[in-house]
Amino acid sequence: METVTDKKIVIETRDIAKVYHDSKIAVQALRDVDLEISEGEFTAIVGPSGSGKTTLLNIIGGLDNPTAGTIKVAGRDISKLKDSERIDFRLHNIGFVFQQYNLIPVLTARENVEFIMLLQKIPVHEMKARSLHLLEEVGLKEKANVRPSELSGGQQQRVAVVRALASRPKFILADEPTANLDSASAANLLDMMARMNQEEGMTFIFSTHDQRVIDKARRVVTLEDGIIKSDEVRS
Amino acid sequence: MKMLATIAWRNVWRSRGRSLVVIGSIVVGIWALIFMLGFMNGFMISYINGAIKHEISHIQIHEANFKKDPNIGFVIPGGMDLAEFLTSNPRIQAVSPRSLTSGMISSPRKSSGGRIYGVIPDRERSVTHHDSLITEGSYFKSDLKNPVIIGKELANTLKVRLNSKVVLTFQDRENNLVAGAFRVAGLLETTSPQINKASAYILMEDLTRIAGLKEGVHEIALLLENPESETVVLPDLRSAHPDLLIESWREIAPELELFLSMTDSFLWVLIGIIMIALIFGIINTMLMAVLERYRELGMLMAIGMNKWRIFMMIVIETIFLSLVGGPIGILLGLMTMYWLGMQGIDLSAYSEGLREYGYSSILYPYIENSSYVYVAAGVIITALLGALYPAYKAVQLNPTEALHTV
Repeated sequence: METVTDKKIVIETRDIAKVYHDSKIAVQALRDVDLEISEGEFTAIVGPSGSGKTTLLNIIGGLDNPTAGTIKVAGRDISKLKDSERIDFRLHNIGFVFQQYNLIPVLTARENVEFIMLLQKIPVHEMKARSLHLLEEVGLKEKANVRPSELSGGQQQRVAVVRALASRPKFILADEPTANLDSASAANLLDMMARMNQEEGMTFIFSTHDQRVIDKARRVVTLEDGIIKSDEVRS
Repeated sequence: MKMLATIAWRNVWRSRGRSLVVIGSIVVGIWALIFMLGFMNGFMISYINGAIKHEISHIQIHEANFKKDPNIGFVIPGGMDLAEFLTSNPRIQAVSPRSLTSGMISSPRKSSGGRIYGVIPDRERSVTHHDSLITEGSYFKSDLKNPVIIGKELANTLKVRLNSKVVLTFQDRENNLVAGAFRVAGLLETTSPQINKASAYILMEDLTRIAGLKEGVHEIALLLENPESETVVLPDLRSAHPDLLIESWREIAPELELFLSMTDSFLWVLIGIIMIALIFGIINTMLMAVLERYRELGMLMAIGMNKWRIFMMIVIETIFLSLVGGPIGILLGLMTMYWLGMQGIDLSAYSEGLREYGYSSILYPYIENSSYVYVAAGVIITALLGALYPAYKAVQLNPTEALHTV
């Protein structure tokens, strides 16, 4: 296994295990997962279905607690945070991109982007400037005032990425972001995220089994049956 | 909060059909509530006003012992002078002194027990308005000697008609049975079963003459200009005449007070039923809205929207539903009350049964302006209560599970 970069570590998991109790059967989703992710990485967590990718991402994102082990994100052990503290932590530190886009259907693209900044209590003028700038960056300025139902899947996912970026998080977690996109939209989205990563130094962590994403990633962590099988850093 | 309100408002119109059903049920609920309040109020007012206006009046004065022992000898000392004096009180609209006894009313074919009132027609008319309730004959206007006005139902019982002869038998001052022959001059039909079935009105001079009384006022009935002034007139009279029994309509007919409180309780039960139906309607709809948006709510929680804001979003959405439905319901209720208040509700199809219980056949629903405010506040509180459970369910969700909901 190769070592990762020497940049500042933003995510650190130690002996993470996760057991789900489905009816009377215990399912071991993760076992002894040790992982360090540094600032500015563009990492793909890959593996077959049921390998534990999403579980690991949920634990890193503070959406789920590990059954054993510790998880430090931005220097804090998030498994020890209260529910309300964890929600607040997510708001200010983590940007999420979901497979199903998950935009708020009753808000326009711009309002969707501004919504998270409203939760962060960012001043209105800054919020409006930032949302327009980001939408322009991803080529959606003209679509700023339309609702998600009027956007294509690729456009919706770009809005979702912009929403995640708008909150200026420490890193972005993307769960199968290209799973519902056609090739052109997926390529477009990946280019956009790679550009953000290189230009803004934003850390991206994907869970995926999409080869297009894996090809773009500079680090690929492979999970199998809840265990890290390989951790490859590309130049 | 503005963004929450924006989302909530747009969510209301997201499932337009479902929201319209809830708004419709709120409109119907409020309208039904206002209608019920108006109808029951109208019923109460009709019943109590009927009793006050045609039977018991606002205040009655008796000799202190007369109520316990209705002996014909217990007259109000200086009754006529007192009645005369009271007519000058500006708070009193009308005064009627009466002689009063119980006895038998007999026709050649039947007899019936009843109350016999000796009245001064002009005075009595101004208090009980019985002249307006004469269905056959006239109110002491004929030239008949010894005229008597009886209830229509009593006439049927006795099998008598206008001008028929009836004999009234009662005790005189010395407790001897005395009798007088009278001619039926008019038939009376009021909302009071007591008057219709068992009362006879004759001239006061006839009753006192037959009973051998010099002074024959047993009862003075007072009708007030304004019913509210009872609180002033009653204590004034009591302090001026401590030796007399002076009672308000509530004391004279405690069953009316009981009826008032019973109707009130009944009304609260009805209001409760309507509100509970409304609450369940709102819970059902909002719960559907929450379950339908499970993944979306999970996403909101995942990206950092706290539970309080999610709770408030659901509550605000419900309040919006009631704020749309509420004014429409109140406006409809207001218009209905205005229309029915002018036209009345014709219940003549049930008039026989209603008369049995002392109601008139035209009912005028009435609702106080303050009731509209209470109804509006009640609906908002109901909506809030209805929102609590769905909002609680929303904040209980697990974002990880919710995000994987299809």
